[in-house]
Amino acid sequence: MILLEYANRIIIETLRERFSNPITTSLNIADFDGVGYRLSTPESKTLLVVSMRMPCFGELLQYGAMDVLRREYGSMLEATPEPGFEVTLKVDIEKVPQDYSDREALIRKIALLKRNALAAPFEQAFDAQIDGRETPLMAIHYRDTEVFYVKAGTDRVTVIFSTEFKEEQDRILGKVFLQEFVDARRLPQIQNAPQVLYTNRDPPLELRGQPGLKDSENIGYVTFVLFPRHFSKEKREDTISKIQLFRDYLHYHIKCSKSYMHSRMRARVAEFLKVLNRAKPEPVNVEKKTIAGKTFKRS
Amino acid sequence: MSGVYPPPVVIDNGTGYTKLGYAGNNDPQYIIPTAIAVKPSQNVATKRGIDDLDFYIGDDAFANAKSYDLQYPVKHGQVDNWDLMEKFHQACIFEYMRCEPEDHYFLMTEPPLNAPENREYTAEIMFESFGIKGLYIAVQAVLALAASWADKNVKEQTLTGTVIDAGDGVTHVIPVAEGFVVGSSIKHIPIAGRDITYFVQQLLRDREPQIPPEQALETAKAIKEAYSYVCPDIVKEFRRYETEADKFIKSYEGKHSVTGKPFNVDVGYERFLGPEIFFNPEIYSSDFLTPLPEVVDTVIQSCPIDTRRGLYKNIVLSGGSTMFKDFGRRLQRDIKKSVDQRTKTAEELAARRLGGAQVRAAEVDVNVISHKKQRYAVWFGGSLLASTGDFPSYCHSKQDYEEYGPSIARYNRVFGSIL
Amino acid sequence: MANTLRPYLTAVRSTLSAAMCLDNFSSQVVERHNKPEVEARMSKEVLLAPVVISRNENERVLIEASVNAVRVSIKIKQADDPERLLCHKFTRFLTQRAESFVVLRRKPVEGYDISFLITNVHTEQMYKHKLVDFILQFMEDVDKEISEMKLSINARARIVAETYLGQFIN
Repeated sequence: MILLEYANRIIIETLRERFSNPITTSLNIADFDGVGYRLSTPESKTLLVVSMRMPCFGELLQYGAMDVLRREYGSMLEATPEPGFEVTLKVDIEKVPQDYSDREALIRKIALLKRNALAAPFEQAFDAQIDGRETPLMAIHYRDTEVFYVKAGTDRVTVIFSTEFKEEQDRILGKVFLQEFVDARRLPQIQNAPQVLYTNRDPPLELRGQPGLKDSENIGYVTFVLFPRHFSKEKREDTISKIQLFRDYLHYHIKCSKSYMHSRMRARVAEFLKVLNRAKPEPVNVEKKTIAGKTFKRS
Repeated sequence: MSGVYPPPVVIDNGTGYTKLGYAGNNDPQYIIPTAIAVKPSQNVATKRGIDDLDFYIGDDAFANAKSYDLQYPVKHGQVDNWDLMEKFHQACIFEYMRCEPEDHYFLMTEPPLNAPENREYTAEIMFESFGIKGLYIAVQAVLALAASWADKNVKEQTLTGTVIDAGDGVTHVIPVAEGFVVGSSIKHIPIAGRDITYFVQQLLRDREPQIPPEQALETAKAIKEAYSYVCPDIVKEFRRYETEADKFIKSYEGKHSVTGKPFNVDVGYERFLGPEIFFNPEIYSSDFLTPLPEVVDTVIQSCPIDTRRGLYKNIVLSGGSTMFKDFGRRLQRDIKKSVDQRTKTAEELAARRLGGAQVRAAEVDVNVISHKKQRYAVWFGGSLLASTGDFPSYCHSKQDYEEYGPSIARYNRVFGSIL
Repeated sequence: MANTLRPYLTAVRSTLSAAMCLDNFSSQVVERHNKPEVEARMSKEVLLAPVVISRNENERVLIEASVNAVRVSIKIKQADDPERLLCHKFTRFLTQRAESFVVLRRKPVEGYDISFLITNVHTEQMYKHKLVDFILQFMEDVDKEISEMKLSINARARIVAETYLGQFIN
């Protein structure tokens, strides 16, 4: 598949099973960007506790993450999270809606926990821009060495990703890919998409003066410029989900390209071996058979 | 949460099913068939574009089997087609597990007697394409032994034992001494889950005509998994069925896939005759006639003499086809019988040579260990080992790979008793 | 530029055919040893003068001959970063499978990307002219493969970008 899913697949499948068949659960899983989840039933089989560990949650709180979570999850959200985690939801399986589509919607909403937590700065920026306000640069350190920044301007919202390529190979491939992102706007059907700018090593103007910027050959900065038509009421939810996954999407495709190169190389090696085998002469038939069935060796 | 964070990923690729999950959990998050459906007419060297991402794995592959080519990259436990395997792993990591490979350690499994080049190819795929943090390739039998430590009855955690791995295609009997597989003593038995299903289907075909023929195999499989068990004695069992039919004869309800009409099947002798082919293969086919307990006994006797007591003491079951009720008990009883017989003969021979003196040999302890996680014992063992704190130090790290090349993957250190 | 390819390949072919006159020759230095002299480099008289055939500074072939072995090292054309990366990956992939290739050397000679070692054993088992054909074909195919891979990566990048950005419009 080309596009990555936003919702966590393991959570969806586990919840689906537990809602119809509650059993004691204790599950520790991970998601992209260093996020971890824990699903457990500490008190009773029908009270499922879903906790999320997210290192950058402290920053998200500053940008109103709690409000967003409260809005989405209402009474399921716990005031104090489990120790070691940043967010905890409690789901009472007995109170889950019986109707199939409502139940699926609830499952999907819980599986979007990470996305909803990360949505806070975007929502703030979008609201500000629609009101005509500007916001300061909001920084979220969503990975150890990578940050993304959101800023609302007078007529646009800028989202800047700093991404680190741990390997030389990834960096070169990343450059090729990101160059295409920048150039894609030339195509008539993509003209209305957000504008993408890319710089390597030197941070873009908006980030000059930001503390903690790493200066290294492996760091790249990708700027998305979103215009009001991209975060209109109907489009807002989708846009937030898609932008969040950008970094994972890029790295996923870099790795897929490496796998693809492997396939090509394997095919090529097979071809070479075929040519090389042509160089070997046919084995002279050493053992021959007579009509009567006796065999003899001819040296 | 103890152990490593982010949790290592444990992937067990079997011929029939792949078990995936994060370490530290009791069950794998996914048990999916090792199948991949790719677009037909794949000519890698000439096409451009992004068509190679158009594929499905696992259950999705079966769902799309009509418009795509269904392929099985793993045959007899060994990887047959590396291209497909790479794609399979790609989908596992990004679609199912949803983890960033650069942040995680990976534990993968290999069948015993696997060629070292295959380990190198696995390492090449994992490190070069996905850039994982570290890799450990474990032998499936050793992990099955580690899984048995979780059973309450186990007093000491040892890596010496005989592993009986009965999957869908073939059954292996693998002796392991101190964490090292005794390669020359491994035996394969061509009787496994699929054969039991065929046998049940045969028995049902003669007796129950109302099963729709296209669904005969699936029905047989469902009946095998739901109702089969191992009996202590066939003759006695037949008699019990005659006398107390209503207690033993069960009924199975199935639905016709096309018309939706329900049909009812009476399940009788198949219940115990199915798994009986492990112990009396002649009732199924005349190709292979050695019963399983005899094979296990031969395997252990062919191992170095100082390991034999340990191997008898710790016989571990793994794989879906060992999950029949009382399988362990029957196996233990039969093996103990032949072992005791041998001990007695040895005592008599020794007594004769010593001119009538009484000789007593220490009794050989035969123990078959069954535990709840048999179906994916290998995965569970991997999860246990990967969740310990020093697992990362056993893995080959990316730096090592860059410096020394893929040949480092040929050797993987054996875990000591750590849990 | 393109019209230097044919003369280049012809030159390589004729030099290789001439150099590939190999004979069994035991080591003169160590008793009972039989090594490829071009690798051992112990006695000067069994080594022939190395020949470099270059099309331009970036594409060269070094042919070092000796009495019982020939070492052919190729420097592949790599114009920019992606090509350098692809060439590096490809040669690494090939050298990892050197055992099945028989004539491939696991490490390239200094200053070159990939090396072959052909000994008298190989020329006894395989046809000489076919071996030369193989090396020539290899040189052509590697260049072709790298440029094709580069084009396909660019095509992929374009599709990836279009798909992602296209999401924002509908």
